[in-house]
Amino acid sequence: MVLLEAKHVSKRFGGLKAVNDVSFAVSRGEITFIVGPNGAGKTTLFNLITGVVHPDSGSIYFQDQDITKLAPDQAAKLGIGRTFQIVKPLRNLTVLENVMLGAFLRTSKPAQAEEEARGILTFLQMEKFLHLPARGMGLPMLKRLEIARALATQPKLILLDEVVAGLPTVEAIKLAMLLKRLPEWGISAIGGIEHVMQVVMKIADRVIVIDRGVLIAEGKPQEVVDRPEVIEAYLGPKYKEIGL
Amino acid sequence: MESVVNWFYPLIQAILNGLLTGALYALIGMGMALIFGVMRIVNFTHGAFLMLGMYVSYVFFLKTGINPYLGFMVSGAILFVIGYAVYMGLLRRIPGQVDFMVILVTLGLALIITDGVQLVFGADYHQINLPLVARNFRLGTQIFVNAPWLLSFVIALVLAVALYLVVTHTMFGRAARAIAQNPYPSPLMGINVNRVQAISFGIGAAAAGVAGALLLPVFYLYPGVGSQFELKSFVMVVLGGMGSIQGAAIAGLVLGVVESLTSLYWGNEWALAVDFVIFILVLSLKPSGIFGSQRA
Amino acid sequence: MSHRQFIAAAGFFLLSFAVPLVVHSDYTLQILFRVFLFAALGLAWNLVGGYAGQLSLGHAAYFGVGAYGLALLSKVGIPPWLSLFLGVGLAVISAAIIGLVSFRLRGPYFALCTIAFAEVVRLVAKNLPDVTGGDVGTQVPLLFTESSIKSFYISGVLLTGLAFVLTAWIERSKFGYYLMAIREDEDTAMSVGVNTSRVKLWSLLISAALTAIGGALYASLFLFIVPDQVMSLDMSVEIAIVPMLGGAGTLFGPVIGSIVLETAAEIFKNIFQEAHLLIYGVLVVMVVIFLPEGIAGTIANKLRLFKKAPAGSLAAPVPVRPEEEAERTAFRK
Repeated sequence: MVLLEAKHVSKRFGGLKAVNDVSFAVSRGEITFIVGPNGAGKTTLFNLITGVVHPDSGSIYFQDQDITKLAPDQAAKLGIGRTFQIVKPLRNLTVLENVMLGAFLRTSKPAQAEEEARGILTFLQMEKFLHLPARGMGLPMLKRLEIARALATQPKLILLDEVVAGLPTVEAIKLAMLLKRLPEWGISAIGGIEHVMQVVMKIADRVIVIDRGVLIAEGKPQEVVDRPEVIEAYLGPKYKEIGL
Repeated sequence: MESVVNWFYPLIQAILNGLLTGALYALIGMGMALIFGVMRIVNFTHGAFLMLGMYVSYVFFLKTGINPYLGFMVSGAILFVIGYAVYMGLLRRIPGQVDFMVILVTLGLALIITDGVQLVFGADYHQINLPLVARNFRLGTQIFVNAPWLLSFVIALVLAVALYLVVTHTMFGRAARAIAQNPYPSPLMGINVNRVQAISFGIGAAAAGVAGALLLPVFYLYPGVGSQFELKSFVMVVLGGMGSIQGAAIAGLVLGVVESLTSLYWGNEWALAVDFVIFILVLSLKPSGIFGSQRA
Repeated sequence: MSHRQFIAAAGFFLLSFAVPLVVHSDYTLQILFRVFLFAALGLAWNLVGGYAGQLSLGHAAYFGVGAYGLALLSKVGIPPWLSLFLGVGLAVISAAIIGLVSFRLRGPYFALCTIAFAEVVRLVAKNLPDVTGGDVGTQVPLLFTESSIKSFYISGVLLTGLAFVLTAWIERSKFGYYLMAIREDEDTAMSVGVNTSRVKLWSLLISAALTAIGGALYASLFLFIVPDQVMSLDMSVEIAIVPMLGGAGTLFGPVIGSIVLETAAEIFKNIFQEAHLLIYGVLVVMVVIFLPEGIAGTIANKLRLFKKAPAGSLAAPVPVRPEEEAERTAFRK
């Protein structure tokens, strides 16, 4: 069952083809990771899916509905949640209020929004920080806060842009283990990641590799990394380095 | 022939007058643009600086008899020092350098300067009488050039070019442009950000002060005189592309001509309104092109 | 609003209503009217400028439209109170137009755009003497016939009360959270489904309506208005300074700001004569440098009295992140 489908999507900024004729599909209940170095076009792809920018050509479908031209808030209403690579917390609000903001998408009652926010923060093991302002938090908690806020909108699909980047390995693994459970709640996920990390290989159902805006490989994690062209052209050194 | 005289000469005269005024606008706008470019703040003290420049030149004239066409240097120097001091003493100390707070402080400072001057000099209108003001040059039979405006045009133009050269060709200019592009330049570049910003603020204030001095012979002087020019400088900075001093200079000339033509065909009282309508149109039709980080 | 805040607010308003029983001097009542008028205007501005973080420096437009609406509509035979409400309607319509254009802009561009609109409104009022009386000004009908200064005072308290209750309610509602989210990060707000344009516009419409009522009250008290007075940039600045001084984005901030500012203006009036804005300037500069979270915000931080109200005080020093800076400067090339 296809949840999201991108068909021949292209986007250029000035002379740069940030995303070049990319097509892929994501099924319900799947965790997909888009792998590519910084500047490969992952964030642009996420911005295209969430309506922050619109493609020059091609189209995007979500649950068989054309969402190519939607605005970000409309995409969120349809059930596409996202996190930002550069974390964007509401700095002067508390952790709880940050997450309540997400919950307000599905309810108008503050009490209910609070209850849902508390549930999600408990799931993400952040219940200790409920009433602290976001501005004092460290990166690991801010990354989780991004996820919590997006989850509070009750998305069907969540886009996780570099969600483990910059985290210590232990923290990254912990977070990955939590994310692995998303399909249990009927939430599919697309992650964006720079390096092929072990943690990703463990939780990803599928991997899409892009390089300079072009999709160069896709498939199950192990298949993809075993492909000679991917190893040779692109993943080679890093892949060996990590010793997967 | 008669009909040509009827519409052609007034048109040429209006354009000429507009350019003459525009050079002063350009100077004011460039000062604002320099400050905006280097510090990313909208300086709501700009009009008060211009007014101060006028008063400095006025007092200087009363005490020494030296007219503003030389006295503008005193205005410029004093305003530079004031601007530098304001930055070092006040703006630099704003916690977090939040936009909001900077705007608030420059607004507060403008109130202090304007009402302070009013306290000292009163709210009355003043004017100085220079014989030069009544003198006109004649171009052909129908076109006149008013001497004081021509003089201020030449001085403003020279200073505008000088300012442009300073920004493009000196160490200070290079540092200012580096900061305009990245407010956190690497320490390796050896730029003292505070110092460069203070000098920029000083130069911006001086530009306003000089323009004020040059306006003195042809204008009334009162504490609130700066605000109309400040409003125009906002328009220029936006038209010219926020932070571009060449852009602001060209916008100043254009604005002068537009106002002059508006006065000719529609009445003087509509000139400022037309400025703002143009301003709003530019802001709303090209919000993404010239302005702000609209969307990532 | 916490329990303590509620008691404090209720007590304050009850006392305020009782003031005319004790104070009989017209002069004092007029000053107190001014305090409440600017508290109400500050609360109105605070919705847009404080909670939503959109620095409007053009609120004089709504104030002026409210004032002129009352004056001009009653001139053509419409009863004063009906004129007032029609004027408020006009202000809301102008706010819709101004908002649609200016809310597409961010940061200083927004502030400049609001100034430009207010100036256009002022200049049009100045330049159409046949309609508005131009620079000569126009007469405004008296809204209250009996013991008028007391009535003005009470209506000032009522308007402040209305704005206060509205703000208190908004602060706890979804709408309030959306406003604060827009202030904190518009991209984030959109990513969780906030239609930021619509939310900002609503806040401006409510704000403009309250401001216009204030404008009409002010005009009616003075009986005569000119564009350079009710639509000036100084008026916009004054409306914005009150809540920023008291604490933008806080419930009590505008009220505190107005009390402090208007009292200070009154005390220094004899010293400074016409130059009464001087003291505003001094206060503003001092508050920014020494109490960057505004008076209410600072008190709250010190005493934890107004718990949570200043959660999102605008003034809180937010460290500017380099990447944000890069984004902000990107447009210049």
